[in-house]
Amino acid sequence: MSFDLPHEARKTAGTEIEPGRAYGFFTDTSVCIGCKACEVACKEWNQLPAEEDGLSGLSYDNTVDLSATTWRHVAFIEQMDHRPDGETPEFQSRWLMSSDVCKHCDPAPCLEACPTGAIFRTEFDTVVVQQDICNGCGYCVPACPFGVVDLDDVDGKAHKCTMCYDRLKGGMAPACSKVCPTDSIQFGPLDELIPRAEDRVAELHERGTTDAYLYGAPGHPGATGGIEKLNAFFLLLDRPEVYNFPAAPTRPANRIAPALGTGLAAFAGLALVAATLLGPRR
Amino acid sequence: MTVPSLLPKYPRRRHGPQGRLDLSDAWHGQSYYGQPALKNPQWDWKVSGYIAVAGAAGAAQALSFLGSLRDREVFRGARRNANLIGLAGAAAGSALLIADLKTPKRFYNMLRILRPTSPMSLGTYILGAFGVTTAVSALGDLAPMRRRPALRRVADVAQAGAALSGAGAATYTAALMSATSNPYWAAAPRGLGAQFATSAVAAGAAALALGERAGGRSGSARRLEDVAACAAASHVVASLAASAGRRASGVGPGPGEGGQPSGSTKAVVMGALPLAAYAMGRASRSPPLAVSASLALIAGSFLLRHHMLEQGKRAARRPATGFRFAQPHNLPRRRRLDRSG
Repeated sequence: MSFDLPHEARKTAGTEIEPGRAYGFFTDTSVCIGCKACEVACKEWNQLPAEEDGLSGLSYDNTVDLSATTWRHVAFIEQMDHRPDGETPEFQSRWLMSSDVCKHCDPAPCLEACPTGAIFRTEFDTVVVQQDICNGCGYCVPACPFGVVDLDDVDGKAHKCTMCYDRLKGGMAPACSKVCPTDSIQFGPLDELIPRAEDRVAELHERGTTDAYLYGAPGHPGATGGIEKLNAFFLLLDRPEVYNFPAAPTRPANRIAPALGTGLAAFAGLALVAATLLGPRR
Repeated sequence: MTVPSLLPKYPRRRHGPQGRLDLSDAWHGQSYYGQPALKNPQWDWKVSGYIAVAGAAGAAQALSFLGSLRDREVFRGARRNANLIGLAGAAAGSALLIADLKTPKRFYNMLRILRPTSPMSLGTYILGAFGVTTAVSALGDLAPMRRRPALRRVADVAQAGAALSGAGAATYTAALMSATSNPYWAAAPRGLGAQFATSAVAAGAAALALGERAGGRSGSARRLEDVAACAAASHVVASLAASAGRRASGVGPGPGEGGQPSGSTKAVVMGALPLAAYAMGRASRSPPLAVSASLALIAGSFLLRHHMLEQGKRAARRPATGFRFAQPHNLPRRRRLDRSG
């Protein structure tokens, strides 16, 4: 028996992975059970070091946020006031759990900010930092509207989720989606994922969960202000801010023209004044 | 099976005993345990120092070029000084930027590509052009070069280039900060551009005026001080406009975040104090007052950049500030519709 399985993703994600097609994650938070298998699988596959351990006191979330060495993060939100009557029966608080990840935006603010070309868009329409080129200027860090990419103090380079670029090249689904036991993290081509996600929202609405909506799919909240789509998009059950997502992120590069234009205009105006004032006087 | 609308919609959050409350467009301060939703760059005083140095050096070259055009004899000394300020600024600025990299030995990777969507990439080439043109222009100040008219002309052309790239060096840094997701820097791109440009011209004119005072050329010094005063006055206006822009986008101190003098108060003081000193110096014909006003303007331009950097980093640590900025009513298209309607 051969261990060589060229298209493993066919079995694990029901899709073939071929260059030139756009792939992404659909994270359906309505079925996330907070097991953190995605966090572990990500750390294992990508050989990311553990971070300082300790208890955060924030529900069961001791990871707290994404970082240079944490590329999946499960948020735990305990809600006591979610019921229509405002009353919460004992032991009946609502749990929202959501596995956060790099959104692989299109266009990607980190990529557009990167002055070295270290951040690039792959043949799978994902966004990856090339470690042999990044020089640690750090401009991608404030550029990201979601607080994802970060510099690592140890090696002085920017790091973030690669959507398992190496696995995709080998025909395998990303580690986090492969390991997710409830299919809360689904990997696939966007032209299949988005209709599937929209069907899921419709199904939840029919079953009475009218809070469900998509975040980051084209035309939905999260894909706003010049950001056309998030290749990693989500099904959420409460306002984006509850999950630490901005309601209406914007593409930073859209602000270059107004800032530079007004700056140069002000400079030119003062230059005109100076040309008058610096001339010979009677 | 009915297919529900796929239009973007926010969840209806059931809330309170009155029943359903539609919060389709209102954010009521929710956050994820108060954790920041944005990350901060590792930038420190080296970056804010660079922004101020590039601004002052770029503006000094532009002003000395204009002065030489209008009155070549009177501004001969100022032009020499501007070349020196430009050289020092380009050298110190590059050193500061490389020192700020976390992998500084790879600084040359900045030259791999030119990316129009990245002010950091644009700035690399603007600073490079400024350094090269300033160096050629400075060569023209050497005695053996001055004797040859052809070389002098080359130096003149180079200074024109230094003036143009200097204008870029003085202003692109506003785009650098605005083209981020940091709410404080992003909320008022136009205001920030005007703030940085006016502050750079004020500091550049003040630096040249100091050189003229030191060289005992009070005629050109007074003209440059007038330019500095005009720039300081426009800086006060630009700072007020920028603050108004930030407040309109919801990026002001929120409840429980106040207590400190606001950014606009500080910026106004930074511009207004030297302005008053210039006016008094002019009225009482007192060079020491004018000199202290020039020094205050230069110090103020450094403080302004550092203040901008630190305010932005503080704002990013408060999830409320970022979330207030990233609301649908702040989206560019919606805003334009609001204004026309």
